[in-house]
Amino acid sequence: MKLLENMITRRRFLQASGAAAGTAAVSGGLGYATLAPMSEAQAQGGGGTTITKNICGQCPARCGIDVYTTNGRVHAIYGDPGNPIANGKLCPKGHLGTYFLYDADRFKGPMKRTNPKKGRNEDPKFVPISWDEAFDTVAKRLQTLRDKGESHRLAHFYGRGWGPSDAGLYGDFGKLYGTPNSAIGHASLCAEGSKRAKQATDGNNSYNAYDYHNTNYILNFGAGFLEAFRPYNYLMQAWGHMRTKSPKTRITSIDVRMSTTMAASDRALMIKPATDAALALAVAHVMLVEGLWDKEFVGDFKDGLNLFKSGQDVPENSFAERWTHGIAGWWNAVVKNATPKWAAEITTLAEADIVAVAREFGTTRPAMAIMERGPTAHTNGTYAGMCIHSLNALAGTMFAKGGMFYQMGVPYGGLPVKSEDFMDDYAKSPDRKKPRIDLAGSADWPMTGTMMQECAKNHLAGKPYKLDTAMFFYTNPIFTAPDAKVWEEALKDVFVIDTSPFPGETAMYADIVMPEHTYLERLQDSPTYPFEGWPMTALRVPAIKPLYDTKHFGDMIIEIGKRMQGPMGDYYKALGNTENVIRARAKGFEANPGDNGVKDFETWKEKGVWYRKPYHWRQHRGEFYEWDGSDYRKKMTADDVKAKLLKTPSGKFEFKSGFLEKHAEYIQRTLGVAPDRVGFPQYIPAKHTGGGDLHLVTPKTAMHAEGRGANLPHAIALAQPSMGGKTTVYLEIHPETAKKRGIKNNGRVRLKAKLGTIEAIARYSPATRPDTLILPQEHGHWAQGRWAKDRRPGNTSDICDNVSDPISGLACYYTGKVTIEAA
Amino acid sequence: MSNNASTMTPPSGLVNTVALAGIAGVVVSLALVFMNMAGQGHASFNTTSDGVVWGLPVSTYLFFVVMSTGLTFVSAFGMVFGIREFYPVAKRCVWLALATLIAGFTVLAFELGHPFRMLWALPTSFQIYSPMNWMGVLYGAELLFIVWKLQKLEAGDWESGVSKKLGMASFIAAILAVAMLGSVFGMMAMRPYWFGGMIPMYFLLTALLCGVALTMLTSYVAYGFDRDRMPGALQDLLKGTTSTLYASLPVVFSTVIGITLVALTLRTATGLWSHQDGFEAFNWMVGTPWFLLQAIALLVAFFLMVNPGTRAGQGAQVGAALLVLVAMFIGSYLFVVGGQVVPVFKGVWVADFVEYAPSLTEWMLVVLGVSLCLALYGFGEKKLNLGAAPDK
Amino acid sequence: MAKWGMVIDLDKCTGCTACTTSCGMENNRLPGENWQDVLFYQEGEFPSGTLKWFPRPCMHCENASCVEVCPTRATYKDADGFVLIDWNKCIGCKYCMIACPYGVRFYTDEKAPIQPDVKQVFKGDGQRSWNPPWRAPDSRDDWKHGVGIQPNGVVSKCTFCYHRVSKAPKGTPDLNPANPALREFTPACVVTCAPTARYFGDLSNPNSEVSKMIANQRGVRLRDHTGNKPQVYYLTGGAGGAVPTDRRGKKA
Repeated sequence: MKLLENMITRRRFLQASGAAAGTAAVSGGLGYATLAPMSEAQAQGGGGTTITKNICGQCPARCGIDVYTTNGRVHAIYGDPGNPIANGKLCPKGHLGTYFLYDADRFKGPMKRTNPKKGRNEDPKFVPISWDEAFDTVAKRLQTLRDKGESHRLAHFYGRGWGPSDAGLYGDFGKLYGTPNSAIGHASLCAEGSKRAKQATDGNNSYNAYDYHNTNYILNFGAGFLEAFRPYNYLMQAWGHMRTKSPKTRITSIDVRMSTTMAASDRALMIKPATDAALALAVAHVMLVEGLWDKEFVGDFKDGLNLFKSGQDVPENSFAERWTHGIAGWWNAVVKNATPKWAAEITTLAEADIVAVAREFGTTRPAMAIMERGPTAHTNGTYAGMCIHSLNALAGTMFAKGGMFYQMGVPYGGLPVKSEDFMDDYAKSPDRKKPRIDLAGSADWPMTGTMMQECAKNHLAGKPYKLDTAMFFYTNPIFTAPDAKVWEEALKDVFVIDTSPFPGETAMYADIVMPEHTYLERLQDSPTYPFEGWPMTALRVPAIKPLYDTKHFGDMIIEIGKRMQGPMGDYYKALGNTENVIRARAKGFEANPGDNGVKDFETWKEKGVWYRKPYHWRQHRGEFYEWDGSDYRKKMTADDVKAKLLKTPSGKFEFKSGFLEKHAEYIQRTLGVAPDRVGFPQYIPAKHTGGGDLHLVTPKTAMHAEGRGANLPHAIALAQPSMGGKTTVYLEIHPETAKKRGIKNNGRVRLKAKLGTIEAIARYSPATRPDTLILPQEHGHWAQGRWAKDRRPGNTSDICDNVSDPISGLACYYTGKVTIEAA
Repeated sequence: MSNNASTMTPPSGLVNTVALAGIAGVVVSLALVFMNMAGQGHASFNTTSDGVVWGLPVSTYLFFVVMSTGLTFVSAFGMVFGIREFYPVAKRCVWLALATLIAGFTVLAFELGHPFRMLWALPTSFQIYSPMNWMGVLYGAELLFIVWKLQKLEAGDWESGVSKKLGMASFIAAILAVAMLGSVFGMMAMRPYWFGGMIPMYFLLTALLCGVALTMLTSYVAYGFDRDRMPGALQDLLKGTTSTLYASLPVVFSTVIGITLVALTLRTATGLWSHQDGFEAFNWMVGTPWFLLQAIALLVAFFLMVNPGTRAGQGAQVGAALLVLVAMFIGSYLFVVGGQVVPVFKGVWVADFVEYAPSLTEWMLVVLGVSLCLALYGFGEKKLNLGAAPDK
Repeated sequence: MAKWGMVIDLDKCTGCTACTTSCGMENNRLPGENWQDVLFYQEGEFPSGTLKWFPRPCMHCENASCVEVCPTRATYKDADGFVLIDWNKCIGCKYCMIACPYGVRFYTDEKAPIQPDVKQVFKGDGQRSWNPPWRAPDSRDDWKHGVGIQPNGVVSKCTFCYHRVSKAPKGTPDLNPANPALREFTPACVVTCAPTARYFGDLSNPNSEVSKMIANQRGVRLRDHTGNKPQVYYLTGGAGGAVPTDRRGKKA
């Protein structure tokens, strides 16, 4: 009897699970409930559980998620097993997604402001309006502006754009309407430094894709690999693999603070802030002197004899380079004197540790040197990034198995209408060639692509002009931009449209609030950030109908566009809505079916992700190969490599950057580097701001959710578990540093910088550098919802000077110095 | 009713005051407790799952039920062991044992998540391994025997076979109950501060101490702090002028204080001396101002009762009794909380020692317990002739 | 009869606390009240100071002291190895919280660490102590096994996701979430653990992966000296030389 029972249960179980694996996204009793015994499934009152595919919206990683919905209520989120980033797993934030949907403080529909005065303590006195009124109001305003010939005074600002259906619509809008400010992205507040460092060395203005699964050594410069580096969830999966594979991947981490990443690594080096370049150069120095560079990728001395001797020049033409450019010049100008002893003094690290790291890195293959904004969020950030990335050339990591490469694009279908066909004379007029409000790409910031942090300042100064209207999407600069208070002044006389579903600070300055859907309510596609190289794009499928009267941001753009006069209006009427956009994009899959069988919009909705392996290029022992359909066998010419992979002026990995040399005069003016040296990766001391005596570092912890976790009670409770921060985040301070200033453990403190003062609660942290204070950025909101509002400590953006790396334009969030005293 | 009219003395006016104060206290504290708990439930307590789980209400419960046992002991001196010199306090002790038991369990009822569910869940789903259960059963038995015995005493039946057997039964139930209460803590091997088979013995000792102290105090309250109004036998007991040494309340008192002091000192010294993980609680304990207060109170009381010049004095006796009661209340608090102040694991989630300070609601439960005792005592003194004793 | 147990590989755990949040949402826990907590502390001092962490679920002990102290047998040991609380019987005396050497039990009615109190924002209905909009389907409520939103006045704890695991096919040696057929039966924390530091299986089956891992990678139990005999093992490495942790006598 027992056996029979078991067999029946087992059979039913297998049937159910087979069905679930096959068509989990189709609603109607599949998924969770069917896996329960039949009697229980019936007991659920008819409303079975459905699983819809979505993408987590709490960081840029784009983990595919399974959203569990029963009787119209979303009750669980798990990683999507079919998504190559998530692989069925999630980071701690991912599970809290339902919180965003059911946030008690969400905006319930469009509203307009009735109190003309703006300020922290001014109640906007919002009153509900219809979407028509909201769109009509904005369209009328934009039309008037355009009719006056001042369309450039409209600016779009965005933070987390997801893809073609939202931020992807900006470009055409700007062209048709006639503004250079559609849109100002947030990259300069994010991680532009590492992108620029790679542009300067290997010609790709991009983040890297990485082959973590096959690497044997990681030299990690300041990437929060186990906290905030993207894609966090996948990195932890890779970590589990790397730490148990044979051979075990060894990891050395370099950071300015003790973190889970540092603690879990084989070696943790607590480096002095803004000196990573010195360490990287010393590693390069040891690799060169000891002959540990990858000769197949870099090349070798012509006579095979290693002439790299500490402190001695090598003849410029003695070295035959293969895929690099300028190594002898770099050695003579920079590396020959970058001894471990020299670096030890600058970095405060032990000389022996530096040598040991260099030898490990130099003798292990494949090995990669990774970095993110830690080392690059300083005035010397791009150079620091270049020094670090140079190690990847020396180790032959570029495009190698177990190395790093760049991301391939998605073969999307085109839109049904082309914006070029809808340009009126106004749009085509040369008068439209105005500078951007952020002056990115102008003589002020010739090497940058975007400079959001400059906009408030520029608007106030009327340079290059005053803004009239600003529309914000997924960004809240009044809270997050450096010197955030300037934005409060600037937005007072700008017509502000905020589109966040949540009552953030920027919304408190809004004249019109157009709340968008939360991510579980959206139909939205999103191509991957650089991941493993091969192309991928995931799709958000709404789990339920929108809870409130909200809209897709893409539809807001389209609806405003439809209300514009002339061909611009016609364009948007033809475009219709975001679903059309996504359907048109999905047409591209017909010719390129995904590995998981996704071939059109419907199958995409079902699987939630389209991807197509493998990555098409590989460097193996100094030769580049292209995928021929079954293996990397098609040998590439130098021209192929230059066109597709190493996109520098020389077509090589440049130790002497042609990109930088083009801007030699600017770099000399802003950073004081002699013109004959500007091309070389080098260490220059950072210019620290703030005027204090202690470095202030404001990291993102695992629960940060790009600043959107501040109103989630569960996230607040776990914001800083490493220090016991349950209701606040604590300021981490070395006990000696604290005691010298009369600061008690758990005592209240004031952090003072030139821009002002914020309060926090200090906790003794013996592992922290005595010259550095750590205060995770999260709290200090004066809006954003009932749990976020007024939660200590103060907002770190309030005391962070608006200073940027002249080359990348990256805001130097971590370069401030402060004084601290007991409060 | 009164075959013992010779000892009948009208209760003093003080008793009225005590009773009224008790009733007022009950009303006020209950009002506050209900108000806070109706709104917030046990969130009005400062106890936490990752901190102190059993706080002031539990230590107050402990204080009262331990005292109840002690009072049963004192009553047993006369009624079980036939030391007739203790008869003058016997009935009062029995009544007070009942009053403190009621006070203790009332406070506990407010501490439980589901006190009424207990009434059916306990008998129907009894866990025989749980010392808490046996403690409950034994205190239940004690309660039963006490009430029964009181009923006999009210009927003037002091020395019938049944009455004597009931006295014996109360005594045994009380011993086992307090011992089992000690075991509730003493069996917790995972909490070194509490652990040990001798903990029940310590509970027995402090029970006796509390019982004697309250006996002494209420003897004076009953007669308006006027020894001359007391029956001669009671005066003899208090002054220690009886023929037998052990029939002297101050001698018994000083002896028990002395033994308690020795036990407490050795327990503390042992805890401080050992490096066993968890014994840090003893460092916490001696670091609290409460510990100092407890130690001073016991030492002063001991001095007052040992010193022949003060031992028999009314003021000294009242003072010593009060000091001992305060010390034992503190001791109970330090014992209960001390077992929990060392977090189960180290970590930044909690300080080296768990922080706990009772909330207003928790303090109101203390007021409730004390007031209930006062009110019940006053009632007994007025209505039940607690000074009664059998004819010689 | 299975003897379900968990294995946590400390060499892979990254201290991310996804176990905490996945459990928190799967089981509708209150913010700050973590059935599955990760405890952090620092050791040493700059420049060699470091951070340590320790993931801590309920150990579902063989000799569970919480079971032994519970006056009403509301806390009980299930035949398949779960230690569970019957919320219909719990009287809220909290003795189990005193007796648990691992600190993994929670009383509902406490001051909310995060204010405003979510219980006031998402008010309960008299039965449930609160009612978050994201709560699990009502049909999952199973007070007999301590599953669902906790009612007032009772103690709660990790159930090893009883509502999932108990539906697994009998005789399954390991619940591996990578297997689509077993994923929905696997505890939430095991499903989501990104570095795959968590494993769940039948300890009574010598052929299960968990049994093999305990053997090969030196699985140790937390506070073995208490004699509680946890069914959660921590992997600490594979060396043969080892500090003895388990006295295989009658008591322990």
